[in-house]
Amino acid sequence: MTRPGFVHQALCYGSDEDFLGGAAPFALDGLHAGDTVLAVLAPRNIGLLTRALGRRSCEVEFVRADDWYGCPSRTLGRYHAYCAERGTDGAGRPSRVRIIGEPVWQGRTELETRAWMRYESLVNVAFAGTGHRLLCPYDTRVLPAAVVRSVTRTHPELALGAGGTTPSDRYADPADFCAECDAAEPGELPAGRDDIPFGRDRSAHVRHALRSYARALGVPEQRTHDMVAAVHEVVVNSVRHGGGRGVLRLRNDREYVICEVCDIGAVKPTTPVPPFPGHLPPDRRAVRGHGMWVVRQLSDLLTETFDPAGSIVRLYFKRAVTV
Amino acid sequence: MTEIGYSSSPGGVNGRSVETFRHTEREIWEVREMEVVPALRAVGEMRAGDHLLLGYDADEERETVVASFLLDGLASGHRGLVLGPADLPAELALTFLESRGCAVDDELAAGRLTVDPHLGTPEGLWDLDEVIRRETRRAVGDGYLGLRVSMEIMRGQAGKGLKTLHDSELLLEPVFASLPVLGICQYDRRVFDDGELAPLDGLHHGRVAADLVWRDELLSITRTFAPPGLALLGEVDDTNVTALARALQAETARARARTANGTSIRLDLRELAFIDVGALRLLVFSALSLHTSGGTLVLHGVAPHIQRLMRVTGWDRIPGLRLGKGEVREGAIS
Repeated sequence: MTRPGFVHQALCYGSDEDFLGGAAPFALDGLHAGDTVLAVLAPRNIGLLTRALGRRSCEVEFVRADDWYGCPSRTLGRYHAYCAERGTDGAGRPSRVRIIGEPVWQGRTELETRAWMRYESLVNVAFAGTGHRLLCPYDTRVLPAAVVRSVTRTHPELALGAGGTTPSDRYADPADFCAECDAAEPGELPAGRDDIPFGRDRSAHVRHALRSYARALGVPEQRTHDMVAAVHEVVVNSVRHGGGRGVLRLRNDREYVICEVCDIGAVKPTTPVPPFPGHLPPDRRAVRGHGMWVVRQLSDLLTETFDPAGSIVRLYFKRAVTV
Repeated sequence: MTEIGYSSSPGGVNGRSVETFRHTEREIWEVREMEVVPALRAVGEMRAGDHLLLGYDADEERETVVASFLLDGLASGHRGLVLGPADLPAELALTFLESRGCAVDDELAAGRLTVDPHLGTPEGLWDLDEVIRRETRRAVGDGYLGLRVSMEIMRGQAGKGLKTLHDSELLLEPVFASLPVLGICQYDRRVFDDGELAPLDGLHHGRVAADLVWRDELLSITRTFAPPGLALLGEVDDTNVTALARALQAETARARARTANGTSIRLDLRELAFIDVGALRLLVFSALSLHTSGGTLVLHGVAPHIQRLMRVTGWDRIPGLRLGKGEVREGAIS
């Protein structure tokens, strides 16, 4: 179990025994090796694993899945921050983090489910090159078939129980998998008339319109600040790379405030869109790349189509949420 | 301002609301009648007839304002009269002009600048109105378009309970109302407290401050003096980030003139409502650059939503970038 490189395994289980058969040895191996072990699980599974680990359970950090898996981009940012913080020992040497992470799938809309599947695929890119290990339990008794089917495409390895693993022969390259997710229709925008045209030197006007819209909907002040910061960055990107002008459409449904930024597309693309824009935390000293990272960290969901003929970025902000 | 919807602290930038820069003359009178924060006028916006009060906390502030005042006068055909407190040789009293590129000796020799230690004498304030009336008429007679008077007020001449001072300032009013003269009465706030200055506001047309470093529809950048630095009010985005870059560059030069190494720059961000990622990155790179020479960029009073942006980007942990607390400066006008 001293294999180098990032390990990302799925544990599909149909019983408590199956769950513990994969999760307990994974945790114990980590504790033996001196790894930091984090278990993000549904409360019931926290109970099962705590009992199975006995007195060693106090060496594992347990977090409720509901508290952790709020929205995909922020969860990714959170895992990244967690690993950055605990990824080195006292002497600055790299130290391994082991995570048992069970995303929440129940009660998700189709759009949200797709974003979480994409998240599982992006994990492979985000942690590539690190020595961390991530085991993702999937409860086949309750999860939708589509979710269970996606597992073999987003996880390079499948846990077999009793510590054994096998490579997934259906594993998809994250770039392809994400492109597939992005290609799915984001769905009709709710009806509305709040269309704000924008162009060069008009970003203050856009921010003003957005603040008014959010205020009228009763969005809390702090969340409005996030919304304004995120939408501003997308608008500035559109002005810079998307032909200089476009329109911001402000809509809402029962769950989300939706901000759609469409531009007219650049005649000649100035810079190629970087791979996984904003999905991976940029270096603090990098000269670019922080904008889209901020956009994803501050919004709850995001769909995008980058197209030379006009890009569409849709930002979703939950109407009732504490971030 | 309320339209943008940011909350402004009662102290305002550097203890004053820079928003008052935007008041027209008519509004200044309204503000005086309501007895709120005295109106602030940038020295570069002064016109004939203006009789303004400068309460300063640092010598650099006084010198910056008075230098602009006198140099603007030289450029527009006014004579400059400096009523100094002490019996200093004129050249010495005006060294702060020399360091700002003014050929003081030439200007004194030509009579375009004059220094009179009148206020330093025990009876200095008694006939101040007469002195200014006479000097203004003389300047006009000599072919000048008007007179600019810089007056440093000394505690010793103010009289018991500042009575002499009040009477004297009161008598100045008709002079400024009728002649082509403009003046700045300078009060050292380390000597006169706010309680003493407040009643004097009513005897002036408002307060004067250094010129803004930058102002557009979204953003004002002002220079602060105690402590030295810059104060930002409003929003920084893709349209005005260059102005911020330029202001930071000038501020770095100003700080280097103070201390050669370990240059520290302080930005008062209490009134900053919005800053985008590109402009924040400018601050980060400025901090990194200062850090290489042992310096720091101190951000004072950063709003929670901007702090959040800095956490998300990891910019809350940049060597050379420090977040200061947002307490209101002692002695600030509230």
